[in-house]
Amino acid sequence: MKIVVKDMSAGYGSSEVLKDINLEINSGEKVFIGGSNGSGKTTLLKVLAGLISHKGLVTVDGKEVSKMKRKDAARLISLMPQTSEVYFPYTVYETVMLGTYASSGSAFGGVPASAVEYALKCMEDCGVSDLRDRHLDELSGGQLQRVLLARTFAQKSPFLFLDEPGNNLDIKYRAELCDKLNVWAAGQTSEIPNTLVAIFHDLEQARRCCTRAVMLKEGKVVFDGDISEAMKPDMLMKVYDFDVTSYIGE
Amino acid sequence: MTQSSRTELTKKGTGLKVAISAVLCLIILVLAIRVGSVHISLKDLFGIIGGHITGDGIPEGIEPRMDSIFWTIRMPRAIMAFLVGGALSISGACMQALLQNPLASSYTLGVSSGASLGAAFVLVLEISIPVLAGFMLPFAGFIFGLAAVTAALLLASAIDRSISNTTVVLIGMVLSLFVNGILNLLSSLYSDHSKQLYLWMMGSFSARGWKHCAILFPVLVICFVLLMTMARKMDIMSFGDLQAQAMGVDAKKTKIIAILICSLLTGVSVAFTGVIGFVDLAAPHIVRKIFGPAHKIVIPMSFIYGGAFMALCDLISRTLLSPREIPVGAVTALLGAPFFAYVFFASRRKHA
Repeated sequence: MKIVVKDMSAGYGSSEVLKDINLEINSGEKVFIGGSNGSGKTTLLKVLAGLISHKGLVTVDGKEVSKMKRKDAARLISLMPQTSEVYFPYTVYETVMLGTYASSGSAFGGVPASAVEYALKCMEDCGVSDLRDRHLDELSGGQLQRVLLARTFAQKSPFLFLDEPGNNLDIKYRAELCDKLNVWAAGQTSEIPNTLVAIFHDLEQARRCCTRAVMLKEGKVVFDGDISEAMKPDMLMKVYDFDVTSYIGE
Repeated sequence: MTQSSRTELTKKGTGLKVAISAVLCLIILVLAIRVGSVHISLKDLFGIIGGHITGDGIPEGIEPRMDSIFWTIRMPRAIMAFLVGGALSISGACMQALLQNPLASSYTLGVSSGASLGAAFVLVLEISIPVLAGFMLPFAGFIFGLAAVTAALLLASAIDRSISNTTVVLIGMVLSLFVNGILNLLSSLYSDHSKQLYLWMMGSFSARGWKHCAILFPVLVICFVLLMTMARKMDIMSFGDLQAQAMGVDAKKTKIIAILICSLLTGVSVAFTGVIGFVDLAAPHIVRKIFGPAHKIVIPMSFIYGGAFMALCDLISRTLLSPREIPVGAVTALLGAPFFAYVFFASRRKHA
């Protein structure tokens, strides 16, 4: 199974953020989406997940994503946005359980035991089992981020799209997140191999979690290939207009 | 403590809270029926109720006058107040989650101003349709109330295809203000009807009988069941449209359907009793403080709390300055606002 993007352009109102993108992502890949602020990374993830309208084609398994029923699309693709709105203080447990909606949602809120078990495992994996009965408004930024990650995992979809999953995490949890993502990506939660597409600002995290890089600049793909190539100083200079090595070292 | 035993404990806690709430609400309902210028013993009251339910007629020794006071006047009035309070609160609870706005209700989307305009047309133009007889005013209120919300939703989706919450709330407010303008114009042009209109807009349960309950009850049951089937979707929607879409909820469709159901609930209530504010705002917030935000519990508990609160307010409205009646809308606000502020800010201080 693969995601195919063909001659895709997208934007908000009259401003075009992405221009003529062509891309193929095969299941089982670990793709880093890089680029400076405003280069269109988040918009690309949203288009891939079928959440905003676009020109051109974006298909998963030959089906146009934006035309799929939301529940069917969510069974294939989960997306964790960069910022999350938390309006009511649900408990950690309730929040993670909501992630099972697409795969097992019955109308009245009953969740089958297998889905509960899987969600509990996701909580364990993200280190939030101890926070189970805490309310979202009592959590630190990093704890909240891990809870939302657990909820995204609990969706159990083979395509996992993460927008800045390292936000608010301290260095220990960032390292652990990389390990977890690698374990997850090597495994299989359904009949399709797991696929990771992620935006990171932390290039070290990107290098640890992904094998392929898609670099965007001003809404266009300027590089698509092996991540070690993308991390070379001249490529980073080209993408970020900044001497990255002077900041983080070689 | 193990995780499962902790969950058991939470479940027991919720069960206990539900039981206490149900008992309190029954007590308030009985008070709302018993208290007044004519007093009745509990035994006679249950005798009357039992007699009517079983069809055996009222027990001997109870004056027929008591039967007509309690069975024909006070009971339907108290139950109507309860049903309306419950309906408005359910509607408020769902609208607050759907639009992620603590002040959202069907009122903000124009149900009340639309309904008032409908009522004004009927009063001012002295329209009457024979089939509807005494129901002309509620009928017009209901149709105009729903029309106002539909107009707000259509306008919102024309301007903003994804109908974001801010757009919906803003359009609703603008539309309400516009309709209120027409209303003021009408009442100043036809000032001889303005007292009648004013009274309708203040809301009252006076002279509401079983026939009104019989219309409201089935609508309430249907809307309640429909909203309960959407409980999980509404939980997810409270995390924002984008997140909801990503988790498999069609945010736009859910929003439109749920808003229309809520407006139907509000519309039917407002149509029979006039515009009664505040309960739809306060009851859900208090319920969330006690039971948490999950809609499968917030929706039924909002019904219980909103209903009990309204029955209590109606009791006060008819007894405080007896034999004069205070508009129940005034009581809900006078009683509810300080209480709501206390509950809301007291818990906030605790968290800070």
